[in-house]
Amino acid sequence: MGRRRQRVDPAAGARAGALPEAIAALSRSLPSGPSPEIFRRAKFDRPEATSALWQLLFRVLSPLPVGNALASLALEAQAHLVKSALCSQGYPRLALAQLPEDGSQGSRELLLALSWLLARGPVPEQMLAQARVPLGDEMTVCQCEALASPGPPAPHMEAEGPVDVRRVQWLMGKLQFRWRQLVSSQQEQCALLSKIHLYTRGCHSDQSLGHLSVTEAEMLRDPEGGQQLLQTLERENQRLEAVLAWRHTELVFWRWMDTVLGTCAPEVPAAASQPTFLPWVPERGGGELELVVRELQALEEELREAVERRRAAWEAKAGGCGRGPEWSAARRASREAVEKELGALQQCWKQDSGPARPHGPHRLVRREDGAAGERDLRAAEVIRTLRSQEACLEAVLRRLQGQCRQELARLVGALPGLIWIPPPGR
Amino acid sequence: MSIVTVQLGQCGNQIGFEVFDALLSDSHSSQGLCSKRENEAYQASCKERFFSEEENGVPIARAVLVDMEPKVINQTLSKAAQSGQWKYGQHACFCQKQGSGNNWAYGYSVHGPRHEESIMSLIRKEVEKCDSFSGFFIIMSMAGGTGSGLGAFVTQNLQDQYPNSLKMNHIIWPYGTGEVIVQNYNSILTLSHLYRSSDALLVHENDAVHKICAKLMNIKQISFSDINQVLAHQLGSVFQPTYSAESSFHYRRNPLGDLMEHLVPHPEFKMLSVRNIPHMSENSLAYSTFTWAGLLKHLRQMLISNAKMEEGIDWHVRPPLSGLPPLGKMSLNKDLHFNTSVANLVILRGKDVQSADVEGFKDPALYTSWLKPVNAFNVWKTQRAFSKYEKSAVLVSNSQFLVKPLDTIVGKAWNMFASKAYIHQYTKFGIEEEDFLDSFTSLEQVVASYCNL
Repeated sequence: MGRRRQRVDPAAGARAGALPEAIAALSRSLPSGPSPEIFRRAKFDRPEATSALWQLLFRVLSPLPVGNALASLALEAQAHLVKSALCSQGYPRLALAQLPEDGSQGSRELLLALSWLLARGPVPEQMLAQARVPLGDEMTVCQCEALASPGPPAPHMEAEGPVDVRRVQWLMGKLQFRWRQLVSSQQEQCALLSKIHLYTRGCHSDQSLGHLSVTEAEMLRDPEGGQQLLQTLERENQRLEAVLAWRHTELVFWRWMDTVLGTCAPEVPAAASQPTFLPWVPERGGGELELVVRELQALEEELREAVERRRAAWEAKAGGCGRGPEWSAARRASREAVEKELGALQQCWKQDSGPARPHGPHRLVRREDGAAGERDLRAAEVIRTLRSQEACLEAVLRRLQGQCRQELARLVGALPGLIWIPPPGR
Repeated sequence: MSIVTVQLGQCGNQIGFEVFDALLSDSHSSQGLCSKRENEAYQASCKERFFSEEENGVPIARAVLVDMEPKVINQTLSKAAQSGQWKYGQHACFCQKQGSGNNWAYGYSVHGPRHEESIMSLIRKEVEKCDSFSGFFIIMSMAGGTGSGLGAFVTQNLQDQYPNSLKMNHIIWPYGTGEVIVQNYNSILTLSHLYRSSDALLVHENDAVHKICAKLMNIKQISFSDINQVLAHQLGSVFQPTYSAESSFHYRRNPLGDLMEHLVPHPEFKMLSVRNIPHMSENSLAYSTFTWAGLLKHLRQMLISNAKMEEGIDWHVRPPLSGLPPLGKMSLNKDLHFNTSVANLVILRGKDVQSADVEGFKDPALYTSWLKPVNAFNVWKTQRAFSKYEKSAVLVSNSQFLVKPLDTIVGKAWNMFASKAYIHQYTKFGIEEEDFLDSFTSLEQVVASYCNL
């Protein structure tokens, strides 16, 4: 297990009471952090500290900000989720996986797990970012969050007997209606946001922003709500200060954790060596990868041949084609279309390796044309990027639909005496 | 959320006027049987949905009026302005000087593309006026020339330009013995095109509404205005504000979306019809009292027995006993008895509405085998009464109601097509025999899907 190596600060360690201070700062910086007393009891593996630590670990490891639904999960369920989350992150100590989930024992193991997480990444800062109070109107410009947080596990439902396809179509239709209503609501929200931004021009004390956001306008309209907002911000400030205090004093904590680790029984040799917890690769993964590589190579060959043939044919046809304004205009138009398509394709391809694409939420600010600062992201650019991504995805969709149609046609062709009438396209 | 109405052709414009008028008069009615605060919330919700405000306070209907001749549009505009209660936008209409001679192909292939820019730009302006836009309500006839061909074209355009917005087409089914020779051709072309580009087709049959006027309202000389008022009453009782949940205190924000999600998520089943109860002349209304039990019993039987109105219901029709297989696959040769539903929505308005018991509609025997009543049936209840009816109930149903009329029209159109009668009027403007065949195929598919419920 690694730990942060920092410049040794002799003064910090020498002060009595430095440890409780450090632990107190840590627990203040985490959401619903347990008291320093719990930590002390956990060092001695006392059972009463166990459930608090399970809950803390659950809060830390939940992908989403914990809402009511998740918070009300039973301890067993929380413990179970914690175990699987730690396992998937590569936690090396086997003893944790073997702990009972009823909160009766294992507080020392849990303490070790917590410190492992703290050592791996800036946990208090991440949790703060998750729970921050946005003052502006924000939206995200990337899809990362949506992809990374799959949400709570859906209840597994068994179909009772064969399902009528019409029922499935019915449900799909309902889903599509909900989706369209969502889009309408979003459009409504945009229209109203735009109005608020427009009407409150010049009201903001910060010149670079210029207008109020919804939260700010609401604060002015409803002073009581404004008070509550203020209190929330103060609480956030307190947590920020706790995080800073933690960073100053954490060395003491790590030294103490060394002693905690020392009190544990030595683990089975396998775990003591370098923790290489490989992510679980499904067995057939290797085979599929080979297949994909071969398919790509074949596709590349095919494309090369197709390009050659096309070029030859075009040369033959258009070798001595006319000049004139119409011809050059047509050529220009087609070149532009091709460039746009090429650009879209390249954009898709360079998605992962491109220049640092903006992540996370951005505040929406309405400004006059050309008044954007250097670090600002222009809406037009974001829209352009999104449009090219959309074009890529639509192309993929069309290709997949074509494949589906071919497959259907093949299946239908295999059944003698069956006439297939495709739905009328437009 | 707001709904933009597109009124197409003579039919669409006349009905549209009645609808807005009915909506606004009801919202101003003083007989809402609810508290003042409730009433104000109701009015505000109705206004936000269908009207926009102008400085001098007169609500302007969120509508675009389209016709190929100016007469009906001018009449509509002036009638609205005369009411003093509301009006249409000054620049919300598009009309030309010529008709289209009941020629679907001309409306679709010539008028449509020629005036596409102007019409879509009007619609766009109307949509931009909405803070929150829910979808389109397009009123048109199925068999006329302008309304139908142009309507199909406009709906297709809306599908392209507003793919995420909802579209409901309100379609007037022509009289069985209509005057236009090619009305069946027009009908099948309209329906097949709309089935592809629209989300829901809410159908009103002229024959049925005519009977309501004659039998229930006791009108001797039935004019189009009478018919349109009955229509508007039914539509109003569907679209006026309703609560979003049993115990909620807010009016539903997106009725169009909720209605569609409940009734038409399946792409093959998009045909909706409306039945309401009670419906009578104002004079009779003063002397009548109703119970929810009675109203709902009648409404349920109307659903089951495919009745168009509350008189002359066939009480012999019963749902198949549970456990037994449904009465064979529905054959169109014998008289259809039991009407199987895909999904139903019942909207109740008025006094003591919380005590209304809709258990009868949750009988699984009413519905097709692949949907449970918990998914297929929804009820919306609102205390506030509608249009002077102390209690009123309306049923929007996705069921086999329209199979027989549809099959009849397809059959007649096919017979004409087999002898190639009048086809040249269509091929002249780019609607080929291929297109007819496509339409026949789509509609046969629709009929088959509904029959196999």
